Amino acid sequence: MSLVLSGVSQSFGSVEALAPVDVEVASGEFVSIVGPSGCGKSTIFNIVSGLLTPTTGSVTLDGNPITGRTGHVGYMLQKDLLLPWRTVLDNIVLGADLRGRATSQERQRAADMAARYGLGDYLNHYPHALSGGMRQRVAVMRTLALDHPVMLLDEPFGALDSHTRLLMQQWLLDVWREQRKTILFVTHDIDEALFLSDRVIVMSPRPGRVQEVVTVDLRRPRDVHLTAEIPYTSLKGHLLDLIYGRAA
Amino acid sequence: MSSTRTGKNARLLTAIAIPLASLVVIVVAWDLAVRIFDIAPYVLPSPQRTFEALQDDWEILRDGAVITSKEFITGFLIGAVAGFAFALAMSWSRLVQRLLYPVLITSQAVPIIAVAPALVIWMGFGLAPKLTIVALIVFFPVVVNVLDGLAAVDKDLIALATAMGGTRWRIFRSVTLPATLTPLFSALKMTATFAVTGAVLGEWTASTSGGLGVALLEAQSRLDVASVFAAIVLLVILGLAAFGIVALVEVLLTPWRRSSVAPAWRTHFRNRSLSTPPAPAQDMSPAPTELAAP
Repeated sequence: MSLVLSGVSQSFGSVEALAPVDVEVASGEFVSIVGPSGCGKSTIFNIVSGLLTPTTGSVTLDGNPITGRTGHVGYMLQKDLLLPWRTVLDNIVLGADLRGRATSQERQRAADMAARYGLGDYLNHYPHALSGGMRQRVAVMRTLALDHPVMLLDEPFGALDSHTRLLMQQWLLDVWREQRKTILFVTHDIDEALFLSDRVIVMSPRPGRVQEVVTVDLRRPRDVHLTAEIPYTSLKGHLLDLIYGRAA
Repeated sequence: MSSTRTGKNARLLTAIAIPLASLVVIVVAWDLAVRIFDIAPYVLPSPQRTFEALQDDWEILRDGAVITSKEFITGFLIGAVAGFAFALAMSWSRLVQRLLYPVLITSQAVPIIAVAPALVIWMGFGLAPKLTIVALIVFFPVVVNVLDGLAAVDKDLIALATAMGGTRWRIFRSVTLPATLTPLFSALKMTATFAVTGAVLGEWTASTSGGLGVALLEAQSRLDVASVFAAIVLLVILGLAAFGIVALVEVLLTPWRRSSVAPAWRTHFRNRSLSTPPAPAQDMSPAPTELAAP
């Protein structure tokens, strides 16, 4: 048991944004959260990352309380949020620079990682010179470089075209397998959630709450052809029923 | 390598040649206007007469240019630093912002020409009133631009940096402060030439300490229009030089705005300890084998 949210809820004034939820994410697990806007996905992320202190409940990481404390999990948004004045390498080590100053070992590790994931020739490039997919890879590497076991990814590929998006999903699965991270992933896209995850948490809005947790027991490693196979399509049908109501 | 070098030199040459050509056109038009319309030299001296006056009065004008330069450079720096500090203080807390906003607007609303004599009464005939006038001119645009830059920093970026465990000060140092460079320099470029005008204005109200403004007034009292123009030419050169230096510093400090790759002098020191990275394990945009399969 790695990341545990117990009875976590959030109210803003008299508005209940998130009804008490209990979520457990095992070490090395890939869990997605899907649901319509206003279902509290981003609220959960802000609570786990420590940016928000929940109204009730607690968050623990390997048994240690991290409720309302930042700097314990990696965090990434749809916007790459790369700093335009920092090179690729300097963007990857931003976390280290924010905790002090990146050591030469940290810079070396970042350079090795960039080379490993295909950006070795771009260490000294500025972000504006990179394509959207490359920028998101740098943003993922910036999150990896923090060296936290848990990564929160909030619709990281939402702004990419569908082809780049597929490549990035595949790439993320490679990274996840190699780096042995625990990933909590928010998306609007049911296919993306199914393709990537071990489990999918379906949430419903007003107030945000967990509707159902769906276990995705599909083969790994996964490739695009999986999405045409019957176990996948039946799971997808089930998710569509949950989110949009049962088909007539 | 050599072909890109040649291309770079050619680009640099055009970058210099074209503005220079427009300058030549202005001088030629000036000269032609004087000849064609037969303008009397006490109304508009020709470029040649102006140049001769520049030579004749060279020592006075040179000393004046040195004094004026000291005034506008020092005043410019004071105004820039004060404006930057002001903007930071205002962004730091709402209370400070509310306290300082009236001061800021007043500093801009006060007609500088009107307060110049008062400044002389308060500060005497020395350097102080000139520096104040120049600083006042630079101050407001710097505050407004830097405030805009600070406000434009993405809130999600601050949230991300906070989630990464950054303290307020370190986020300021690594995320907020660099974001002010671009708006700061657009204000500095805008005010660099105004600063020269401000120095001249100061010299006119307190003319005992010399400067190009004083040389200009003296030439005017002698009805020596060619000398007036010589002083004006020097003032223009000072203004252009001021702009050029600010623009040059901007290019050095914000290379990401023009270039795809960081210049070597910015990366060499920080990356000196890196061993050559291993050969890429993956290609740039690999179609993973599973995806490429039919």
